[in-house]
Amino acid sequence: MKFQIEDVTVYFPYDHIYPEQYAYMVELKRALDARGHCLLEMPTGTGKTIALLSLITSYTLSKPNNPVKLIYCTRTVHEMEKTLAELKLLHAYQTIHIGDRARILAVGLSSRKNLCVNSRVLAAENRDSVDASCRRLTASWVRVAAAANPNLPTCEFFEEYEKAGSNAVLPPGVYTLQDLRAYGKEKGWCPYFLARHMVQFANVVVYSYQYLLDPKVAGYISKEMQKESVVVFDEAHNIDNVCIEALSVSVRRQTLEGARRNLNKMRQEIEKFKATDAGRLRAEYNRLVEGLAQRGNLPFTDNWLSNPALPDDILKEAVPGNIRRAEHFLHVLRRLVQYLEGRLETDNVEKEGPVGFVASINTHAGIDQKTLKFCYDRLHSLMLTLEITDTDEFLHIQTICDFATLVGTYTRGFSIIIEPFDERMPHIPDPVLQLSCHDASLAIKPVFDRFQSVVITSGTLSPIDLYPRLLNFHPVVSRSFTMSLTRDCICPMVLTRGSDQLPVSTKFDMRSDLGVVRNYGRLLLEMASVVPDGIVCFFVSYSYMDGIVNSWNENGILKEIMQHKLVFIETQDVVETTLALDNYRKACDCGRGAIFFSVARGKVAEGIDFDRHYGRLVIMFGVPFQYTLSKILLARLEYLRDTFQIKEGDFLTFDALRQAAQCVGRVIRSKADYGMMIFADKRYSRHDKRSKLPGWILSHLRDAHLNLSTDMALHIAREFLRKMAQPYDRAGGSGRKTLLSQEDVEKMGDGILNEMQY
Amino acid sequence: MNNGNGRRLNGETEEDDDDEGSEGDLDAWERTYADERSWESLQEDESGLLRPVDNTTLYHAQYRRRIRSLSSQATTARIQKGLIRYLYIVVDLSRAAAEMDYRPSRMAVVAKHVEAFIREFFDQNPLSQLGLVTIKDGIAHCLTDLGGSPESHVKALMGKLECSGESSLQNALDLVHGYLNQIPSYGHREVLILYSALSTCDPGDILETIQKCKKSKMRCSVIGISAEIFICKHLCQETGGSYSVAMDESHFKELILEHAPPPPAIAEFAIANLIKMGFPQRAAESSIAICSCHKEAKVGGGYTCPRCKARVCELPTECRICGLTLISSPHLARSYHHLFPIVPFDEVSPSVLNDPHNRLPRSCFGCQQSFPNPGNKPSLRVACPKCKQHFCLDCDIYIHESLHNCPGCESFRHSKSPIATEE
Repeated sequence: MKFQIEDVTVYFPYDHIYPEQYAYMVELKRALDARGHCLLEMPTGTGKTIALLSLITSYTLSKPNNPVKLIYCTRTVHEMEKTLAELKLLHAYQTIHIGDRARILAVGLSSRKNLCVNSRVLAAENRDSVDASCRRLTASWVRVAAAANPNLPTCEFFEEYEKAGSNAVLPPGVYTLQDLRAYGKEKGWCPYFLARHMVQFANVVVYSYQYLLDPKVAGYISKEMQKESVVVFDEAHNIDNVCIEALSVSVRRQTLEGARRNLNKMRQEIEKFKATDAGRLRAEYNRLVEGLAQRGNLPFTDNWLSNPALPDDILKEAVPGNIRRAEHFLHVLRRLVQYLEGRLETDNVEKEGPVGFVASINTHAGIDQKTLKFCYDRLHSLMLTLEITDTDEFLHIQTICDFATLVGTYTRGFSIIIEPFDERMPHIPDPVLQLSCHDASLAIKPVFDRFQSVVITSGTLSPIDLYPRLLNFHPVVSRSFTMSLTRDCICPMVLTRGSDQLPVSTKFDMRSDLGVVRNYGRLLLEMASVVPDGIVCFFVSYSYMDGIVNSWNENGILKEIMQHKLVFIETQDVVETTLALDNYRKACDCGRGAIFFSVARGKVAEGIDFDRHYGRLVIMFGVPFQYTLSKILLARLEYLRDTFQIKEGDFLTFDALRQAAQCVGRVIRSKADYGMMIFADKRYSRHDKRSKLPGWILSHLRDAHLNLSTDMALHIAREFLRKMAQPYDRAGGSGRKTLLSQEDVEKMGDGILNEMQY
Repeated sequence: MNNGNGRRLNGETEEDDDDEGSEGDLDAWERTYADERSWESLQEDESGLLRPVDNTTLYHAQYRRRIRSLSSQATTARIQKGLIRYLYIVVDLSRAAAEMDYRPSRMAVVAKHVEAFIREFFDQNPLSQLGLVTIKDGIAHCLTDLGGSPESHVKALMGKLECSGESSLQNALDLVHGYLNQIPSYGHREVLILYSALSTCDPGDILETIQKCKKSKMRCSVIGISAEIFICKHLCQETGGSYSVAMDESHFKELILEHAPPPPAIAEFAIANLIKMGFPQRAAESSIAICSCHKEAKVGGGYTCPRCKARVCELPTECRICGLTLISSPHLARSYHHLFPIVPFDEVSPSVLNDPHNRLPRSCFGCQQSFPNPGNKPSLRVACPKCKQHFCLDCDIYIHESLHNCPGCESFRHSKSPIATEE
């Protein structure tokens, strides 16, 4: 359908549109007009992605004078493919309507592991080794050597791509990763480098968060993006954590040992070069004297990681004299590693600011701040000079230099925490030195500064006023939309008591109480007997899950549950979990029924959908607070309080509730779906906790469902399931319209907008 | 307040626990609460007053939707209906059937309505046969073979009412498939599964069994007692049956009776076929003969097979001696209305009702009772699109479900017919 939003003609590939999608588009359009950032919350299953894509592409079409580029960031490769598939549909529709004018180039960009078509490279098992084996075939010096000696292996796809030179371009269209691979195979061009090249020219780029947020990667991928771009972060409820992780480094004993090995190897290499090709080292020295400005001239297969600090914080200066010579630099690194090893030998937890830490390095190892700051660039240069292609083996020394550069660059928003052992397992010594970033706004600041509009959107962004504070920006629009439903297809409940009327909670002093454990067990057992097909349970942590499942097993509850449904469990091992999930799905498919035990904040809670019969009920056992005694968390809380005036309690609750909402949101992925959500903890009935749930859950949480015991919940579940099993009218015949046709949209105009917002 | 709430609902858990002993611990006043759930029949209106739930319009709306969906199929093409049906009713008697959310138990309610259904089925489909299968302890048992006598089925079912163990959909389907596969091609193979359990414990891959059923053109329908189960939905979709879940006892009754009229024939299946049938004569009152069904001498009554002259007690049936289908002409006539259903009546819109210029009949053409004042409520009358007579909702249902003739059209035809014959 085609309709008008103010001065923009929107092409929407479906015949009907949900009212909330329309409202969403209007708000988004206003944000684009204002050239500002925006924050939009809309429940899952309402078609956020297509609304976003169709508005932004239509916006570009109706304003041909200043075309905007769309940079769409997703969390997973799967989401990337889904987004591109939707875009393809949209593009086909637009082409039908306005012909060639609708032409766009849209590419997805992912790591080599997902894009490579060379079977020899793909044989490597993980991402880092795929990268390394690609470099082994494509690095400039390897290719030079291969030109002289045809027996050396190179990558035929890359050679073809290079040969085609500037002719190697993608014709307009929408390319999913699969399409790119197919196109690359057909033409014999390397899809990865082709995509990386085309990213500059594409109208729509879909890639992962890291390409924009992690300065190590962003430096060479996203450098060329124009200012007139719209950046979209989809599923962005955890964006602050992504930002923090991008700037955090942890160093363990293994890292240091590895770094030592790397240093030895490098020393041997240097010795070798000294004997055979001393001129090369001298050339590097001279280059460094002139400054590192020549990076732009490097062939682009050679640069793999750029500085971990943010672009604005990198000094445009020459490398300090004491590390210009390769041997000297190695000495410096050796001293640094030795110093860090010494720090790890501690028996008690230490916490320090970066300033103190740098001062201490200076006194004990004689390395000053400026030297530290240049470590990363210097290492990069040295590795190029030494023609090292096994980058995956040198990860350890890279981590150390990464650490050094960050600690030398930033004085605020970071802290260094050394823990001799994991607090949960105090008997196993596992010293770790962590440089943790507390300020999510640091990593995302360049993105906000550089691009015209940044859209942060997700199904759960509540409370929506906290995100601007955490990320330190000023959105021009921040809105939360409801879901228009033809029937009440979600049924959230807060369960506070067991059948025996004793409160249930995972509060620290209550969680091991046998009564609570039994009540939780009875809850699951009774629910298993009335809910068909799949049930998903989320626990607050792995250790709690292990404990409670163990005691259910001891008192026989687990056995009773197994009479109704099969039980599957998430473990920390990815392969095992995938297998469990597959079997869980199979059990749901064939009618046996199954229960999946999972952990909030785990892989399953973040990325796996339990829609339709795969999840008719989700039970959240407890409030998934972070481990509050963790030193890193405490340091971050302190920083947030001092810098942004966010109270510790507020942040913890916010974080726990967004995780809980994320977990329960897994069950409903479209409007035709239905599911129940049980929050099983007495603390959810308190207003300060509950009010932080997203609006679309709250609006279905009736007052009568706020303080339930197991038997009452059971009764509600029965009624709900019967009601939902009845055939229903998709378009919402009575009263409120939930599917708009083109005429409806034209008629309604703005009236609908106010209705859809809170 | 909270406390009271919890206590009152306490009764509910115990009843849900299907624990017989605990029921006795309840006080009498609690029991009435728990049993009748009187609070559920109340609802709050806009001003906060309590009033009984007004279900009549709701029921009627449901009925209208059903009629419409039926007729929409019918009007698109002159569809063929399978009048000769071979139906197996599968009753789930697993542990879940003992639950007491239906009074006195799911099992008893199901049995009661199956009995009513069997009678209704033979009333509407005199040419068809029916058999009973139960699932218990994960195994399917054949209770009665295909047959035409309602009494024997009902008796067999009532004698076997106890439940235990798991439920297995696959076993039941396999068993029924084995029986129905031998049915001659003109008969319509149908299975109606009344499923209490929420899961199925199968020995093998049920999806294969479903494909097998699909291949042999068995139409499988499921009525769920508690909630929607994916595999049942899948089964019905694959085999072209209908899937529904009962809200409560009366809804269950409605759902099961929906299966009494013959379903539209599956297209590829509807090959025209001539079937040999006998129309036996009723024997003289005083004649004595040995009846072939009971193997004993009987005086008077009974029918004589036109081919082999054997005596049978009831119609319709299959002759025990020569295997001829025996039937009487009223039976055929009773099946006839399925082929020519009456069109659904139109609702009279309130705008027409409130228009003072329109002079509308004050009373229902069927029962002659006057219509209540409509106000701004949804319409309480319907009109036949052919004869334009108005009817009340009760008559609407009666005409469509039992009478199968529109009184308006009939009387119209009668008043006209003398002229027609003169021409």
